[in-house]
Amino acid sequence: MARLRGKRLKARPVRRYALIVALVMLFAVLLAQTSPRLRAWIDPARTVAADQLASSARPGLWDRISGKAARDERIRELEAEVRELTRYRSVAISMAARLEAYEDMLNVMGEPPVRGVTARITSETNGPFREAILVNAGTLQGVQAGAYAENEGGLVGRVVQIGERSSRVLLVADFNSRVPVMGEASGMRAILFGDRDDLGTLTDLPERGSFILGERVLTSGEGGIFPRGIVVGEVVERGGALRVEFGMNRGRGGFVRLMPSMQIPPPEEYPAPDATDAEDDTGIEAGDGAPVDETAETATSEALPDAGAPGGG
Amino acid sequence: MARRRKSERLSAVAGIWAETGPTSRFLIGTLIVAAIGLIGLTPKTLFDTELVWPYASLVAAIGWGRSGLGFRPMVVLILFGLAQDVIVYAPLGCFGFINLAAFGASSLIARSFDRERNPLISTVAPVVLYAVSFVLVWLFASFSGNHLVQLSPLVNVFVVTYILHILTAPVFDLGRRVGPLTGSMS
Repeated sequence: MARLRGKRLKARPVRRYALIVALVMLFAVLLAQTSPRLRAWIDPARTVAADQLASSARPGLWDRISGKAARDERIRELEAEVRELTRYRSVAISMAARLEAYEDMLNVMGEPPVRGVTARITSETNGPFREAILVNAGTLQGVQAGAYAENEGGLVGRVVQIGERSSRVLLVADFNSRVPVMGEASGMRAILFGDRDDLGTLTDLPERGSFILGERVLTSGEGGIFPRGIVVGEVVERGGALRVEFGMNRGRGGFVRLMPSMQIPPPEEYPAPDATDAEDDTGIEAGDGAPVDETAETATSEALPDAGAPGGG
Repeated sequence: MARRRKSERLSAVAGIWAETGPTSRFLIGTLIVAAIGLIGLTPKTLFDTELVWPYASLVAAIGWGRSGLGFRPMVVLILFGLAQDVIVYAPLGCFGFINLAAFGASSLIARSFDRERNPLISTVAPVVLYAVSFVLVWLFASFSGNHLVQLSPLVNVFVVTYILHILTAPVFDLGRRVGPLTGSMS
């Protein structure tokens, strides 16, 4: 009996030490994540884990065995194709000719066709950490990095992590979200971020003027992530301050549309040939100024086949 | 007659549960936490009202802690914690730390007090443990987000988790008794 009790007493401290060591190690892991470099290593692993854990788009084993997964996949592809074609048939036929004529007249770089992916919200995180949603579309469905999400109420957020079959969207209502916005009527510019009371706070306001109570707040297109003119919400007054009530809360259909972000390449990415260099080169070969313009124009048009398009598809 | 049959059935279930060993109880508890967690992954609204989902792993941590320290509960609680971190976008290790801290504290209370003769302790201790755990969640979330996060959602989760505790506490009892052997010779 005494031997047994002695054995138990010896075993207990080992468990106690194990608990303390585990607690210290977990706390160390927590602290280590304050380093951005370590976080950059951890985040991809977390994305894969979330993709595996929470994506309902992943077919089950039985579905794979019975071939239902392949059939469903094909049906989804065809449905997407039909949706895409229906969209384009009605729009393209009526508009293409006119648009081309207008663009020729105005010498405008054409807008890219807006192509997005509609995805179902599989899980929502509205706890104390981040306001984010997980949707069942990832790189396999054509979601791109930096894509933004909208629903029938307006802007929902921005894709911050992409997996193969799922993406995580940071909501505009999150404290860490920053959206350049403007008032629809007043034209005032500001930066919008989510706050603790489910309303948006406007910051970086101009010194003169202010937003008008009740006016709609739209994205201003600055920063190159969200295109201009997407509804974000409406200006309301709370506690004497002008706040923004998010439009996305009106659309609770459980679906979001993921649209590719505006990707305007910076000038350094596609530099225009230096005028003096061009002049030197052509001057040596041709000897007059006329070919310079032609060469420069050709180079620019070759270097920027799609770059002028503000959407990037 | 019907009431008698029902009570007989309940006592039969209680009898089976009393004969169940710690390993089986532990596995059943693990499955319950996993099931609650998996259901919690889906969007949950009822008549346009968002439902609050409990932290089942915390209930398990406090329940298993009452039966003393053990390696298997620790490992499972760390794994549940990591899953929670991934799901709620918390820093990795956050919920593992909270689960283990709750587990250790629950074990410490079970060892220090004679709960069977002090019903007050067995009533108050879980409330205090849940409160401390949710304060830890709030602190980690506030540090992680660089701002003080709002308390009201956490209070809601706290209440729901405590309700789950009331309903399922016996399931997370591993059947081992720890604590001071009052009245016995040391």
